[in-house]
Amino acid sequence: MSSSSAEDIPDQCTDLFTQDGVLVKTCIGRPIADLNSHGMLCIMLNPRGNKVIEWRPNDLITIDSDTQDQEWAVVNTIGPVHSRWGACQDLHWPAHCRPKLPRDAVYHAQPRGNKVIEWRPNDLITIDSDTQDQEWAVVNTIGRRQRTLSGNLTSDYQTARARIIRIPLDELKSFRVNRTNQQVQFSTKQGVWQTTFHFLHGNAEVFVSNLKNYVKTAKVRHDRNTYIVVEPTDESQVLNKSFAELDIFTENTTDVVWNLVSNFKQRPYETTMTAFSKLTDIVYYGNEATDKRDVSEEVADLLTKSMSALDEATTVTKSEGYEVISVKPTLPPRPNIPRGTPLSTEKWEGLQDTHGRVTEVDGVKQLIFRGGVAHSIRHSVWKYLLDYHPWHMTHAEIQTLQRKRTEEYFSMKLQWRSMTEGQESRFSEYRDRKSLVEKDVNRTDRTHPFFAGDNNPNLVVLQDILMTYVMYNFDLGYVQGMSDILAPLLLLLGNEVDSFWCFVGFMDRIASNFDMDQAGMKQQLLQLQQLLTFCSPALAQHLAQKDSGNMYFCFRWLLVWFKREFSHRDIMRLWEVLWTGLPCANFHLLICVAILDAESEVIINNNFGFTEILKHVNDLSMCLDVDKILSTAEGIYHQIISAQHLTDQIRVILGMAPLNITRSTSSEEATSQVNGTEDGLGIFSPGMDEVMYQIGLDMNF
Amino acid sequence: MAKTYDYLFKLLLIGDSGVGKTSILFRFSEDAFNISFISTIGIDFKIRTIDLDGKKVKLQIWDTAGQERFRTITTAYYRGSMGIMLVYDVTNEKSFENIKNWIRNIEENASADVEKMILGNKCDLDAKRMVSKERGEQLAVEYQIKFVETSAKDSLNVESAFYTLARDIKAKMEKKQEASNPPSRSGAHPIKASDMQRKPASWLSRCSIL
Repeated sequence: MSSSSAEDIPDQCTDLFTQDGVLVKTCIGRPIADLNSHGMLCIMLNPRGNKVIEWRPNDLITIDSDTQDQEWAVVNTIGPVHSRWGACQDLHWPAHCRPKLPRDAVYHAQPRGNKVIEWRPNDLITIDSDTQDQEWAVVNTIGRRQRTLSGNLTSDYQTARARIIRIPLDELKSFRVNRTNQQVQFSTKQGVWQTTFHFLHGNAEVFVSNLKNYVKTAKVRHDRNTYIVVEPTDESQVLNKSFAELDIFTENTTDVVWNLVSNFKQRPYETTMTAFSKLTDIVYYGNEATDKRDVSEEVADLLTKSMSALDEATTVTKSEGYEVISVKPTLPPRPNIPRGTPLSTEKWEGLQDTHGRVTEVDGVKQLIFRGGVAHSIRHSVWKYLLDYHPWHMTHAEIQTLQRKRTEEYFSMKLQWRSMTEGQESRFSEYRDRKSLVEKDVNRTDRTHPFFAGDNNPNLVVLQDILMTYVMYNFDLGYVQGMSDILAPLLLLLGNEVDSFWCFVGFMDRIASNFDMDQAGMKQQLLQLQQLLTFCSPALAQHLAQKDSGNMYFCFRWLLVWFKREFSHRDIMRLWEVLWTGLPCANFHLLICVAILDAESEVIINNNFGFTEILKHVNDLSMCLDVDKILSTAEGIYHQIISAQHLTDQIRVILGMAPLNITRSTSSEEATSQVNGTEDGLGIFSPGMDEVMYQIGLDMNF
Repeated sequence: MAKTYDYLFKLLLIGDSGVGKTSILFRFSEDAFNISFISTIGIDFKIRTIDLDGKKVKLQIWDTAGQERFRTITTAYYRGSMGIMLVYDVTNEKSFENIKNWIRNIEENASADVEKMILGNKCDLDAKRMVSKERGEQLAVEYQIKFVETSAKDSLNVESAFYTLARDIKAKMEKKQEASNPPSRSGAHPIKASDMQRKPASWLSRCSIL
């Protein structure tokens, strides 16, 4: 069956997501007979590139029951019909539904329609099973029928149409999932829930989380289960969204944080904070300090504390009966370090001399570390951060370099492009890599519009860059995860050559993640464990007791630098900060520590075991606040380097020279030795006041 | 808190990258299919509790990254698994050939008596098929492992494959229990030794062998 090649079938519909076991509970304007029908809920891409939520009743499709081998009959007959005539591609019906199916109906999507929810009766189209050549027979039959139908609706068709339920995503206003994950309601009109679906398996959240890949949503303030579909162009709604994201995040942490947020909502003017982002900082940092105590009692206290990041109260020594806190008395209090604003266009231009040389490299990095890069200049700044453009080069020199790199790229690309089929057939190692790249390219960020849809040209670019990288570094070749690393670069830079060289720069930093023997990953996991033992001994101990001391549950975080844990927007921010190499080596490990530290109570108090730990950590994906984590990680960094008991092991992990002294309990000596020695990393050691002072300087740079 | 299940079985999905392990798991645990799956990095698992001969059996099914390079990490999770699904892609010859390597991998890293089953996935893609059903069956005979062709997309045989594997594990487990509890003393416990011997459901007669 060759008809699945999409080039000659422009009218194809694709099911992006299907979920079985879904009943229609209510649907405005629907005959009662249709309610409680079993069916399948889909998110479908129609030929116009619009997406539709579609519910199809189980009795919609029929298979020719005379055929000996039912499974193959379905494929042979229905498949080509759909691909050729623009109907939905995915007609293959779940095997267990088949016996119930009435005969002689086919589901087909309107070839020119929009995204809708639609339900159709099953007597719509007949499959001619007697024909010798089934494929063509079917095509002919259905083709004619369908054309007739699309021009002139028969009553059959209208009955049929009445049964499918379709909700075009661009008309969807809001949806709501109930608390038990059994029902989802959709609304295309303010204030009216037109359709309710019941999920037999109680897994409505699966549908909702997939739906959220295709629509931008905001949560309603006072109803945590309702999502409003946000038009991305409407700025006020974008703002709503960012508020909503905060809610989403807090919902996924403890109730304590949730309560705090509502408290802040109720008395926002009691703080001197004007920006909500700042407010959240305080919520979180305040929370760090007080989450062991009753929240309502502590709100006022917290607000006071928030005024001074270095307030002594953050030590939490008062909270009794909670061992988590009592086991980490040796670290100094964690400073609350606010994030800065992103490097702006004006600043960036101001930092270049008339020839385009970037003069204050350290200063630029410092700014980027503090606040990231404004999106509008990322495409330029990233090339410097990823060592593609040397900082000291003039515009003219960079142009020359770029020309050279472009030639170099295309000559490497030609190497694999000119490989003949015969060569390939005798080059298994190359063949294996190619097929691995193909497989991964086809499942990299496909929900992002930039990579979505069949025959997306950006996928070809993604593939070409990865294949050329195979030629650039054949020893390393392609390893899973690399496509995740490349995708945001290509998305941002758009240009094949630039993306390749920036990818090379990124890979140079993390190549050891992809070692054949995984030595690089194992070393980082070990270092992470050591850092955690130093910073959160109680958590480290708990993990060790639960057979999780190898930190394997952080593998995904480290392999692709948290790519799977954050949205594209956030991962760009996180990566550019990490690329600065500030404030120390292996800062990405402190990011891990920051995330884990925030989860430490949940993990310990619930006495999570081996499997629960893994699940909990995996489920943090897309629920993390990048700014909060960066800020916490930096705070932890300052705690570590000003700790009295800082060990050489930790110093080495953070890129500081070991002191090679025998450790005594009083480390005054050690501290003084740190000061003014090697890399200037120790200069903050004596006290947090200096830390804050230095940060103030950095921010005003 | 009272247990909500009678048995907990740890199962494992292994096989080459891109054969559809995650899709199979998603089909079984959520009865859903997503066209834009992402590759699995590291390891994850899903839970589904099924009813098996009147017992609640909680299946904890682990999904692993397929690329060979990650095996040093993924094999750490083999420990304690009671059943393994070896998955290949019927449209990918290499993934089929590699089943032998995966079996060796199991022998080295999993317990010797782990129940196994071979799944030839993506059998809906008949046009692209490279591995015939007969070859799958042959391999299964060779290794004395049950075999079935599946389609996560069309929900074909996924459900029954997991039920079969679970049923085999349960049978083996109860047989062992019986052996350790001599029949004379096990008056209180004669749970369905006979049930256990019962042949798996009839679908096997068509779709699988052994």
